[in-house]
Order: sequence, then C-alpha cells, then structure tokens
Amino acid sequence: MTALVLDGVVKRFGDFTAVDGLSFSVPDGGVFGFLGGNGAGKTTSVRMMLDILRPDAGHIEVLGRAPSRANAPQIGFLPEERGLYRLMTVMDTVVYFGRLKGMSVGDAGRSANALIERLGLSQWARTALDKLSKGMSQKVQLATALVNRPRLLILDEPFSGLDPVNQGVLEELVREAAAGGATVIFSTHVMQHAERLSDRLLLLARGRKVFEGTQAQARAQLPPRLLLTAQADPAHLPGVARAVAAGVVQNGWQEWDVTLAPGREPADLLQHCTANGFVLRSFDLHRPSLHDVFLHLVGGVR
Amino acid sequence: MNRILLVARRDFLQIIATRAFKITLLIVPLMLGLVILGTSFMRPPATVAYVVADRSGSIAPVIAHRVELDYQRQVLSDLSAYAARWKLPPPGNDWSDGAAVEAFIAHGGAEGALARMHPPAGATSFKPPPPSYLRVTVPNDVPVDQGAEAFGRAIAPYLANDIQTPQGKRPLAVAVYVPAHGPLRLWTNGRGGNSLIDLIQQERTHQLRMTLLAENGVAPATAAHIEDLEAPVAVTAPPQGGGRSQMMVRSIVPLALVYLLLTAALITGGMMLQGVIEERSNRLLEAVLACVEPRELMVGKLIGLGAVGLTIVAFWIGCALLAAFSVEGVVADYLRPSLAALSQPWMIPVLAFYFFSGYLMLAMLYLTIGSLSNSMQDAQAYLMPVTMSIIVPVFMMMSGVIRNPSGWLPSVMSWIPIYTPFAMLARLGSGVSATEILGTGLLLVVFVTLELMLLGRVFRASLLNTGQPPRLGAFVKLMLRRE
Repeated sequence: MTALVLDGVVKRFGDFTAVDGLSFSVPDGGVFGFLGGNGAGKTTSVRMMLDILRPDAGHIEVLGRAPSRANAPQIGFLPEERGLYRLMTVMDTVVYFGRLKGMSVGDAGRSANALIERLGLSQWARTALDKLSKGMSQKVQLATALVNRPRLLILDEPFSGLDPVNQGVLEELVREAAAGGATVIFSTHVMQHAERLSDRLLLLARGRKVFEGTQAQARAQLPPRLLLTAQADPAHLPGVARAVAAGVVQNGWQEWDVTLAPGREPADLLQHCTANGFVLRSFDLHRPSLHDVFLHLVGGVR
Repeated sequence: MNRILLVARRDFLQIIATRAFKITLLIVPLMLGLVILGTSFMRPPATVAYVVADRSGSIAPVIAHRVELDYQRQVLSDLSAYAARWKLPPPGNDWSDGAAVEAFIAHGGAEGALARMHPPAGATSFKPPPPSYLRVTVPNDVPVDQGAEAFGRAIAPYLANDIQTPQGKRPLAVAVYVPAHGPLRLWTNGRGGNSLIDLIQQERTHQLRMTLLAENGVAPATAAHIEDLEAPVAVTAPPQGGGRSQMMVRSIVPLALVYLLLTAALITGGMMLQGVIEERSNRLLEAVLACVEPRELMVGKLIGLGAVGLTIVAFWIGCALLAAFSVEGVVADYLRPSLAALSQPWMIPVLAFYFFSGYLMLAMLYLTIGSLSNSMQDAQAYLMPVTMSIIVPVFMMMSGVIRNPSGWLPSVMSWIPIYTPFAMLARLGSGVSATEILGTGLLLVVFVTLELMLLGRVFRASLLNTGQPPRLGAFVKLMLRRE
C-alpha cells in the first residue's frame, strides 16, 4: 500500500509557482526524506498533503484517500514553525490535540501521559507552556503530533532549533515510530539528518522534483572520489577522469585527488594498479555525501 | 465533543483564566458597589433630631403635628407601593391629600391598614420608613429663659454632635428658639436638609397670617378658608405607566443592555483578537488547521467568545439584581422598578435577539481583524476606525434616545444594520412598534448572515498569510473570492 501519492501537483500564489508539477509516492512504512533548500516548496507541499492548502492542479492521495480533516486521526503533524498556547499546561495541550484528532478524553489522557513520561516532561505536566524552555516546548509539540499514534507522521523541519541532545531524542522517536509501522515523512534542508534517518528521499528545487530514490541511488548521481598516494601521476590510468595533486611531496610520494569517469568502479582501478605494478602507498575511497549530491543537483537548478 | 465545541471550550477556558477577564468581570459590580456606597454616604442621615424652645407655647405643638403628618404621608406612600407590589387593596386614598393622611392616622396608621389589607403568606413584611425628624427635649444645660443669644451659644456644641433620642443617638440638625414675642430664631448645621426649616417657616407664616386676619375682624372659619385657598389649575397627567419619568425608568434595562453589549463585546473582542494574533504570529494555527477546518475554527471561536460574553453579562446582571433586591438606596430605587420593563413576555426574547446579534456582529469583526494582523500594532490600524465608527454614533444615538426615543436619529439608526442592535435595544423600553421590531430584526439577520459569509472568507484566507495586511482592494477581493 502507498502512504502518499502526489501526481502532477501544482500550487501557485499569484504569479509565483511554489510547487510545479510535483509527482512522487511514498510506500507504506519506513522513513522518507523530503529534501530541499529554503523556498523549494516543501512546506507548501506538506500543507497540501494536510488539506490546509488546495492544489491548483494535480492529484493527492493520503493513506488512500483525498486530503481532508477526516484523515487527521491517522496523521501526526509537526509544523516547521513551532508554537503552542502559552497559557495551557503541557498535559492539557497534548490532550487537546489528541481530542482534535478524534480521540476520547480517556485515550488522549493515557497516550499523553505515556508520551510526556517518555519525553522526560512528567515533572512539568501541569506547568503552563510559557514557563518551559524552547527545547521542552518543542518536545511538547512533538508529543501533540504523536499523541494519536499516527499511521502517517509528517514532520516539517523537525530538527530546526533543537540542540544535539534533543536532535538525538527526536531521531530515536522517528525510528521508533517507523519501527512501530508508521510511515514517516520529514522535510529538512540538513542532509546529515536525512542521511541518518531516511530509507528513501526526494530532492526538491524551485517546486520541482530533481531526484527521488534511495540514498545509494542518490550517491550514484556523483562519481566516487579517491585519495591515492603514489609516486607516479595516476591521470593516465584507465577509468580516471581527472587527477589533481594534493598536498606536498614527501620522500617522492604525492597525494592525488582522483575522480573516476561515470560508471567506473574504484575496485577496477585498484585491480588494474595491482596487476600492472602501479605502486600505491594508500587507496582511500570517498563516497559522495548527500550534501554533495544536494549541492550538485540543486546547485544546477539554481 | 465535536471539533467546533473543542475549539470553543479551549478559547473560553483560556480567556476566563486571564487576569484581564477577572478584572473585567469584577469592574462593573465594583463600580456599582462604589455608587451604592457613595450614595449611602452622601445622602443625609435618615433620621435627625430637633429641639424647640417655645416661650410662646403655641408653635411647638404645631411643628410636631406637621412633622408627624408628613411622616405618615411617607408611610402611606410606601404602604401604597407595598400594596401594589403584592396586589392588595390600597391602604388609603391619594396620599398627597392632607385629609387622606389624617384619615389614615385616625384609622390606626400602617398597623391598622395592614390589618385590613391581609398580606398573603409569602409577602415580605412591611417595613415603615424611618422618621425624618425626631423631637428631643432641650438639654438641661441649655438655658431657655435667658434669651435667644444665650440659647444659641449653649446649643451650638450639641449641633456639632449626636444627641440622645428615643431611637438612640442621632445628629441634632435643627434648634429653634421661639420667644414669647418677636421673631423666631433657628440654628442648623445643614445635616437635616431644608425640609424642616421650610416646614417651620410655613407653619409660623400660617400662624402670623391667621393672627393678622383675626385682628382685622375676619371670622376664624373665614380666615382658615382664605389660608387654605389654592388657585385651581387643571393638570393633565400622563396615563399610568406613561410619562417621561416612567419611560426613563422602563428604559433603564434596555439602555443598560446597550452599554453591556458595547462593553462586553469590545472587551472580549479585544481578548479574542489578541488570541488570534498569538495563534497566527507563533504559527500555532498550522498545527490546529491540520485537524480542524478553518470554518470550524471560526465558528468555535465565535461560540467560545459568545460564552465568555454571556458569562460576563450574566455575572453583571446577577450583581445588579442582587443590588436591586438586597440593598437600599438610589441605585436600588431605580433598578427595582426598571425591571418591570421585562414583565412583557415578548420583551426578554427580543432583548436577547438584539443583544446576541450585536455581539455576534462585533465578534466577527474582531475575529477578522485578528486574522489579518500579525501584531497588535497591525490590529490597531483596523481597530481604531472600526471601534470609533461604532462607538461615536452609538453614544450620539443614546443621548438622542434619552431626549426623545422616537427622534429621527434613533429611528434612522434602527434601520442601519450595524447600529440596529444598539438603537433598538435603547428604544425598546419606550415602546417600539411590532412592525419595526420585525423589519429591523429581519434586516439584521440578513446582514449578520452576509457578514459571517463574507468576512468568514477573509478569515479563512488570511489565517496562514504572512506579510503586510491586505489593502482595501485586496480585502474586497478576499471577501468576494470563490472557495
């Protein structure tokens, strides 16, 4: 089953096209990274998934149905910009959102209690939110998204504003939710989070999809880089597209930054060196990071 | 509980938990209490004492009789009101007639009348008013046989203090010295008002005239007849329940409702406005809108605010009723008869209709302003013209209603929907035709429905908007856009 389908979705604000013919699908289960720079159209897309905005063209399906508030009981949503009712207590806030998602008072209360404890907020359960730190408030907001044990968890820039410790807690919660069978879609422009969490990802630039696939497929968009230490110039070896000398020569040994031609494998080059007596002191393989892929793909669009 | 009620409940609980709400709730009862307290402090003491040193031996009994007559007139008047309240036979004839009062006294006063009236079992017992003046004997250390000057010097310290009377200590307000011959002297500290002085002057004048007439050979009966003569003047009085003062009293509740509507709507509207701005400015709305339709959010907020307004108004009215029935004084004297305006069965639903329509109309305006504003500073740009364009004409209309409820300004404003609730509420106490009530009511319903529809579109479109609030052209476009 597919958790989310967007098919040719377009959203315009006046003359500005925020989302331009976006099509992708997210299978049930797992963590899906929705990546893009600022203004790429992530938040607009998320709002359309939640029926906060309606697309001008195209078709959206969420958990097999058209976007509507009727899906709210099965969805958890953490918006990009956080805010809560300052004068409400932690417990009342989480229960309120649970009830808005169709939970009974008892269920919402029990779920809220468990989450508050899990997030280490028990001692502030009856405290008004304006007395909590920013980090704690963000945990409360996360609890409002998770209170209904959603089948689809949509997190819009969930890590922004969190310190490294709380980022770790959130990552753990995302993994837990996915392990529990939920589909997690999270948007971010911080590639390290996507690298650590997402099984599949989509790259968005100027409202258009520039990539969709697994992390391995994303990395394959860029040729691998090698750092070799050799006495001879490796530029003429088979499969090498480019070799640039790096650092200084030490006792005749030079470090080389080598780029392979598209489709060529580092293992083939190593085998060729060994077989043909091309002496190597080191052979370090550097697979491209998502950050590199992002810069490569999005930079091109920009 | 559905989502609309959840939103309404949350907004209601949030507002009533604020300090501003608690202050708002208490401010009217506190002011009412201060007025009651003020009037009770400012009004002269209910009973004051007076002394008469009568060397002539003729004026003191006359003053005492007149004081008693005036007091019994007051008792008869109060007893008449008591009889009307409990639907009992009247205790006597017209209490303004001296002969009727004499007859009342002759038939046992209040006690005798109550025995004849047979109040029902549930009726409260009649409490006669306190007497205004009590005569006390001249203190022993005040000489009465050494002339007026000596009497005046000796009585002066007593006038500055209370003096022992049969009803306990009371302020000594007036001291009278009547020599055997010559002019009467009177000392007062002003605490008893001028009534007793006027009374003494009238009785003394009467005596002097009667003496002069007798000295000029006029028979005592003829002299008395001349003295009692009054020029016949035919006065046409307004019918029972009519007249300017009656109309004013009957208009107190509707006029008070206009003030309540304005105050409650402006105060709670301001609270809601702040709430919406808070939700918008910290992007909280996005999370809420993922669960709740914008229309549900709007209706929930209106219901929540309505509940807040209802709480405030119910509390204020409760306090006013408590004041009307549990305290004495000027405020209570006006409040009690004014409630008679509610005795007509159609009055309460009509008052409620205009009140809540007006409240809804203003609440929607505030809600829309909140949805358009990123900060209170933004909101002020809209609030000022909107509030002033309501308050200024309404206050002009109110003063017009007090002068003449059927004047052109209140009548015209009754048909301008934005002012209809205020104008009609203000005029209801003075009598408005059923046609006017139905016509303005229908127009108001149409207007509020259109307002909810058009401003509702603006509200829904503006909830997640950022940047500058729209200009007039963009605002109109938002109202007319298709959803």
